[in-house]
Amino acid sequence: MKNFWKKLYDWVNERVQLDDLVKFMGKKYVPVHRHSIWYYFGGVSLFFFVIQVVTGILLLFYYKGSSDLAFESVQFIMAKVQFGWLVRSIHAWSANLFILSVFVHMFSVYFEKAYRKPREITWVTGMLMFFMCLGFGFSGYLLPWNTLSFFATKVGTDITGAVPVIGEPLKIFIRGGEDVNGATLSRLFGFHVALFPGIFTILLAVHLILIQRQGISEPMHFKEKNPSEKKTMPFFPNFILRDLLLWLLVLNLLAVLAVFFPADLGHKADPFSSAPAGIKPEWYFLFMFQSLKYFPSHIFFAEGETVGILLFGAAGILWLLVPFWDMKSSRGERNRFINYLGLFAVMFIIILTFLGWRS
Amino acid sequence: MSKILIIILFIVQSGLLFSADKNQLVKDQCYICHESVGSTEADLYKKDIHFKMGISCSACHGGDDMSDDMDKAMSKAAGYKGVPKGNEITQACVKCHASSEMMKKFGAKIPTNQFELLKASVHGRLALDGTQRIVQCITCHNAHGIVEVTNPASPVYPTNIPGTCGKCHSNPAYMRSYNPSLPVDQLSKYRTSVHGMRNAKGDPKPAQCESCHGSHGILPVKDPRSSVYPTNVPATCSHCHSNAEYMKSYNIPTDQFAKYSKSVHGIALLQKHDVSAPACNSCHGNHAATPPGIESISKVCGSCHALNAELFSSSPHKKAFDNLKLPECQTCHSNHLIITATDKLLGVSPDAVCSRCHLQNKSPKGYYVAKEMRHMIDSLESSEKNAMNLIQTAEQKGMEIAEAKFKLKDAKQARLEAKTMVHSFDEAKFNEVVDKGLKVTSAVKIEGADAIHEFYFRRIGLGISVAMISFLALVLYLYIRRIERKRK
Amino acid sequence: MVFDLDKPVRKNRRDFLKYFLGAGLLGFLSSIFYPLFSYLKPPVQGEVEVTSVSAGKLSDFAKDSGKIIRFGKKPVILIRSANGELRALSAVCTHLGCTVQYRKDLELIWCACHNGKYDINGRNISGPPPRPLDPYTVIVKGDEIFISKIS
Repeated sequence: MKNFWKKLYDWVNERVQLDDLVKFMGKKYVPVHRHSIWYYFGGVSLFFFVIQVVTGILLLFYYKGSSDLAFESVQFIMAKVQFGWLVRSIHAWSANLFILSVFVHMFSVYFEKAYRKPREITWVTGMLMFFMCLGFGFSGYLLPWNTLSFFATKVGTDITGAVPVIGEPLKIFIRGGEDVNGATLSRLFGFHVALFPGIFTILLAVHLILIQRQGISEPMHFKEKNPSEKKTMPFFPNFILRDLLLWLLVLNLLAVLAVFFPADLGHKADPFSSAPAGIKPEWYFLFMFQSLKYFPSHIFFAEGETVGILLFGAAGILWLLVPFWDMKSSRGERNRFINYLGLFAVMFIIILTFLGWRS
Repeated sequence: MSKILIIILFIVQSGLLFSADKNQLVKDQCYICHESVGSTEADLYKKDIHFKMGISCSACHGGDDMSDDMDKAMSKAAGYKGVPKGNEITQACVKCHASSEMMKKFGAKIPTNQFELLKASVHGRLALDGTQRIVQCITCHNAHGIVEVTNPASPVYPTNIPGTCGKCHSNPAYMRSYNPSLPVDQLSKYRTSVHGMRNAKGDPKPAQCESCHGSHGILPVKDPRSSVYPTNVPATCSHCHSNAEYMKSYNIPTDQFAKYSKSVHGIALLQKHDVSAPACNSCHGNHAATPPGIESISKVCGSCHALNAELFSSSPHKKAFDNLKLPECQTCHSNHLIITATDKLLGVSPDAVCSRCHLQNKSPKGYYVAKEMRHMIDSLESSEKNAMNLIQTAEQKGMEIAEAKFKLKDAKQARLEAKTMVHSFDEAKFNEVVDKGLKVTSAVKIEGADAIHEFYFRRIGLGISVAMISFLALVLYLYIRRIERKRK
Repeated sequence: MVFDLDKPVRKNRRDFLKYFLGAGLLGFLSSIFYPLFSYLKPPVQGEVEVTSVSAGKLSDFAKDSGKIIRFGKKPVILIRSANGELRALSAVCTHLGCTVQYRKDLELIWCACHNGKYDINGRNISGPPPRPLDPYTVIVKGDEIFISKIS
């Protein structure tokens, strides 16, 4: 068995000089310290993404993306296709866990200030992927074409329309027209299975290549130590195997969730019915949705909601560009302000998500 | 000439002096004069109740009733109106009859709302010429010989009403000019009914036109406020037919309305306002109201329950029932208290209707068929219930079972069809329908059981997968530990 | 000597663990691939039945006849008139919800429950039904008949 693998390796090596790559990879190491555990979340996020792609492709075999067929096709998958319920439920749960995982990954990178020079682009591609994840969540949510998803999309695109100047055309672009209808479904379907995965893959490739090239970021206090004191572990095979172990446990979790909490089907969307009482978006949008409710209806000359949206937009842009304005971290100095800002953001998100869920 | 006149007048006047109507003698010069010249109206007026009350001709015609000078009395200056035309006629009556003080003054205990009712009624609409109402008071009550409604001489005394109404309503040419689609045979039909026959013999108690349609406020049948609108018909009929005192002399039951109100038809019509449900007239007829004959009961019920009637008529029961003078549908289903026909009606148990005739030793064939049919339909019902339970269990477990649930509708349909097929009293035909239903229920039961099985399969599958994954994870963990120990 | 003793023992242990690793991996992969392949196997029903339902072949459908088709959760009656025209209507009687049928002898739609009658356009013409039957659209593609909701 071992011979076979060696033979295969040699065959490829003769053609592309794999040896160089292997030597390079073999040198890769992961710093071991108090906060090492957060390093795993990047890999876990990647794992979830792969699960989404695989289950997504499988769903594509049976899902039909037009408004008369969508709901029935999902019902078909849940009831008639063997293990269809499993594929769909894993896809739904993995989506949620994926977004949770990228939240954790993003915040852990933020607090470790791993975005500082030379890893600015890694951060930017990561943040862009983060926003794309939310886009994946939003577009995918509509696809079963049930009551909840229809009205969630309606409310979500309505809020988009409240952005000044570009909001209205953006809303029409997303909706494929004035209202949420079959055109919206086709469009979001295209985003979800083609456009977003394409862009995301490019961003992911850049992100991963940069990590491979630059190595795993060390915590700031590491530079004060001498090389012999720095504890590390080789990326191959140790970290990889540990990562794999974690992935197996996550897979277990997904299976249990899929069986005991299968994805809900609900009722087919009826555009003429009224929105269900207490309609709210998925949990990852909840904090924004809830905080918008607290804005007064008018602030000076502007509508309260518009101010709220613009504030979130500004916050997002600031967050995206943090490597460029956090001078202290780039210099290797401790930046308490960043920590406090991050803590505030985390608390804000948690508290408002909780409030939104309870309302 | 005038001398003779004066003498005659004197004699008449003295005659009148000794007549009971002293008031009249003193007051009403109109009457005195017109009566003396032999006017028919005056003659009629003699019998009029208004005359008896001391009301002068001038009350309706205007003029001076104290003056015996014709020119003076019948002058415009004196307020003489002549013969009122059109709506003026009714106005003349309404002047007094709509005023309760007036009525009290004369000690009349009659209502004062007739005109209001008439205005809102179908007769209060404009006549062909467009200048007056279709009907004036005198149309039905006469002009000069008006007597109380309770007086057999009145045209609106119960025995006279059919003729009075029929004057217009049995005239095809007249009715055509107002409503060509309205029938004109009501009177002739009425005369064939029990009501009509007794009415013709002089009995004022049975229903005539006014009893059901009202008198002054007659509304079209299609008007929901009308007393003969379908939802109001049972109450209208029961006005007499539920009154035990009133019906005492006729020896017929008075519980029909009470029973009907509890029946399927009664609940449908009176509570659910389903106007397609039968009221009294649907089975008994309107004007020719008569309970259906024994042989025609299935035809009457069959006007809606067509399939059941057809099956019954071609079944062996038809001849048997007719020979035994048993009322067809009514024997098993009752006539007024028709309740939902449940499976309990069928079979040979004490509360089933079949066993009333088909006893095991007396008519074994019928007994056997009844027993079989009940058994079959019971098995279909329990099979359907089982299937439903399985479906609901699967649903509660969260399995997608919408299609099987839909199929179960066919089983319900089969039971409905079976209940109808009972009326053929043919075991083979009945079993055919029931078998169709049983096929559906067994298919659904399989689907339901499969869904429940799938539920457990998923959990077992999960257990196996989790075991495999955990095993691999454990081994991997040990492997990692070994590698790291080695590296150290 | 010690060295010698160590080696074989180690080797066995390694093999043991590696053997388990291989077996575990195999088990894991099978618990992935079994559902995967079952999923990809086409289910018995073939295709999802939709708001557009296939109602069979035109050539199989005789003139002056009617049949009941399942449309989602409701029954629909498809009629081919004597001159070949196709009509699809809701088969739920508007009186009390029984399933109607086509009567060739009467050339109209009939409800067995209370003798309600509709013409072939679905209009209620006799008996208790208070409203006409809802219409559906019929499309013929080649030889196949499709029924869909009127939008």
